[in-house]
Amino acid sequence: MHRKIKQSILSFLSKYWFFIPALLVYIIFLIYPVIYSLILNFYEWDGLSQIRTYIGFGNYIKFIKDPVSILALKNNLTWIIISLLIPVSIGLILSICLDRPLKGKILYRTIFYLPNILPLVAVATIWRWIYNPIFGALNTLLKLIGFSNLRHAWLSEPNIALYSIIITAIWASVGFPMLLFLAGLQNIPKELYEAAKIDGASEIQSIKYITVPLLRETFVIIVSTTIANSIKVFDLVYVMTMGGPARMTQVLGTWMYFNTFLYSRAGYGATIACIMTVLTFIISIPYIRIMSKKRIEGT
Amino acid sequence: MRKYNSLVYIFLTLLALLWTIPFIILVLTALRTQNDIVSRGVFAIPKQITFDAFITAWKQGKFNIYFKNSLMICFTKVPIGILIASLAAYPLSVYNFRLRDTIFLFFLSGIGISVSITLFPLTLLLKKMLLLNSLGALFFPYIAFGLPFQILVCRGFFHSIPKELIDAARIDGASESKVFRKVILPLSKPAIASLFIIDFLGTWNEFIMALIFINSDKWKTVPIGLTYFQDQFSSAYPTVMAGVLISILPVVTIYVYLQKYFVKGLAGIFK
Repeated sequence: MHRKIKQSILSFLSKYWFFIPALLVYIIFLIYPVIYSLILNFYEWDGLSQIRTYIGFGNYIKFIKDPVSILALKNNLTWIIISLLIPVSIGLILSICLDRPLKGKILYRTIFYLPNILPLVAVATIWRWIYNPIFGALNTLLKLIGFSNLRHAWLSEPNIALYSIIITAIWASVGFPMLLFLAGLQNIPKELYEAAKIDGASEIQSIKYITVPLLRETFVIIVSTTIANSIKVFDLVYVMTMGGPARMTQVLGTWMYFNTFLYSRAGYGATIACIMTVLTFIISIPYIRIMSKKRIEGT
Repeated sequence: MRKYNSLVYIFLTLLALLWTIPFIILVLTALRTQNDIVSRGVFAIPKQITFDAFITAWKQGKFNIYFKNSLMICFTKVPIGILIASLAAYPLSVYNFRLRDTIFLFFLSGIGISVSITLFPLTLLLKKMLLLNSLGALFFPYIAFGLPFQILVCRGFFHSIPKELIDAARIDGASESKVFRKVILPLSKPAIASLFIIDFLGTWNEFIMALIFINSDKWKTVPIGLTYFQDQFSSAYPTVMAGVLISILPVVTIYVYLQKYFVKGLAGIFK
């Protein structure tokens, strides 16, 4: 009896030990912290002392009444809308341009994708220098071409700081949708375009009736990742403005960081983080569904 | 078609120029003296090209330390993480068992989880494990957050390996781990190579965890080093830009030299 059990455990392990290391690391360093935050979410706690007070949905009420949280949420929303409109459409246009036999195709692709692989801290640092009000390239250029009155303190004027950061984000992110659209386009059989041409369709028409519908899955993946990334934004804001001036550029990510790690409000910080995670989780569902069905082929 | 092509060229070239300007500014700034920039402006051709800024950044800016730390974490975390992920993906793609889809979905759900929700609990956990403020604090969480995507990609790839090859090896008496080592891994080289590149870039660039888990200069990684360095040399523009150039050098090199594998890999994954 004893031997039988031992044997069945051994045969089970010989087959299934493969995912034990992954499961352990994943549960300890990802799942456990998530559950911890989901509980902490209902408490008021400074993160250090022995006393935690259960306050139910108190932190959520605080969130709604906190003007900075609401502003952060709004800023994330602005970020989502602009990143869905501008980088995604530039990426689509670029991919359609690059999906034909062109000289220097790889060079163009490299230029547009390069910013995407840089550390965001480096991107933020470059653009902080470009936006520098006195010696920065942008104001220098505006003065050179005679538009001195258009010069601004790009990162310290409350009305424009957020948009200045988003422009940086656009520069850095255009390559991602471009590359995915290119991959999707290569999947469309070229005969379809030839058939359409024979039937007298214009180039614009074949884009509208062949390209766009057949890129549906690619669209879903891009839209879902773009929204999720816009909710998670942290690095660019942290380095470029630290949420300033006057907290005007706070986003959920930085505001969570301020509360948890600088203001010792661990419970409230957990609530902001939970809101972020619920949003990114819902947004990722279509992405996960499409990706889990794919068979990934050789390269 | 002809007519369109020249229009496309003009459009692409103009946009590419616009996209290159920040890189030009970066290089033009790093290669000259502070005085030259302040007195003659960013767009002037440098009076004299100098590499002093790089030396200052490397030594006084402590980039030599940050660089070493980033390389150390990348060259340990990336191979070990991918190994663990590919091991997990093997039974999830070739066996049939009851919990298979549940376990796969459990791993996959990690894709939707934002790092921010784990940061504070992780600091408490890492402190208890005496890992906080060392590279070990980054090692395990980085692996955990890499797993969902890597398991997804490996599983998708393993599915495309013909079942007959695996069965043939088993008939020849190969154990499961031998099948994995001798059949699966060699056939998966392209997928693993692209995962390696993607993960190397991601690990090199990671910011928020390193910011929170590491305090002492001794263990800072390049992105964290770059932010501290900026505060320290805030108005020494050439030095700061030299720091940026140092910090992007490995990722740019990898991208330019290995972009064939990288781009094809991404295309294979997302097509």
